[in-house]
Amino acid sequence: MPGLLQAADVWKRVVWNRRAARLDDPVAPRFEPGDRVVTRNVHPLGHTRLPRYVRGRQGVVDRDHGVFIFPDTHALGLGKKPQHVYSVRFAARELWGPAAPANDAVYVDLWDDYLDPA
Amino acid sequence: MNGVHDMGGMHGFGPVVPERDEPVFHAAWERRAFSLTLAMGAWGRWNLDMSRFALEQMPPAAYLGSGYYEKWLFRLEKLLVEHGFVTREEIERRVADLRAERRAEAPPDPAKEAQ
Repeated sequence: MPGLLQAADVWKRVVWNRRAARLDDPVAPRFEPGDRVVTRNVHPLGHTRLPRYVRGRQGVVDRDHGVFIFPDTHALGLGKKPQHVYSVRFAARELWGPAAPANDAVYVDLWDDYLDPA
Repeated sequence: MNGVHDMGGMHGFGPVVPERDEPVFHAAWERRAFSLTLAMGAWGRWNLDMSRFALEQMPPAAYLGSGYYEKWLFRLEKLLVEHGFVTREEIERRVADLRAERRAEAPPDPAKEAQ
């Protein structure tokens, strides 16, 4: 019967879903480790992986994770829009103000479309 | 969306206290909510990001007052209704039936009998 899901297939499909966020598309990175970036101050009504507390903040690209599905378009059925995801380092004081410890930092995984050169 | 799920930097929720020897599920219905969510996800009608977005649309007060698998159940029902697997009315009718069954099975309450 077409469309009938067999119990034995569930696990396979689940694992496939988990791995499918990483893509092999040959997309050029817009940034490289060490680049200073600023996050966009955007407030999309749909899904986003850009938390409010890092919007409009300056950070430094720590490393490039590779190419992934862009959640913002994918969540709305608007395509995968493959792009690089970086671990971006933000000084705690950039996010939480002068009372935050000087040496603390927060690393957030962010997509190309969330970032501009600082 | 600027929803209640985006909690980074919010104050007042108290410390995170890990439960000692925490079980994977705290009740049988949680196990069922988990397995139903995975099984229905395997149909491929929605992707992981759509699924996350569905959860983010839980009404804010309910979101903050619900446990982990209560949120999963909300999301599952929303996705099932939106994608035409069941109707909201079918879910509500089933809940009403289960409530009625439970009332019928409950032992008589001695306090009420005495009145």
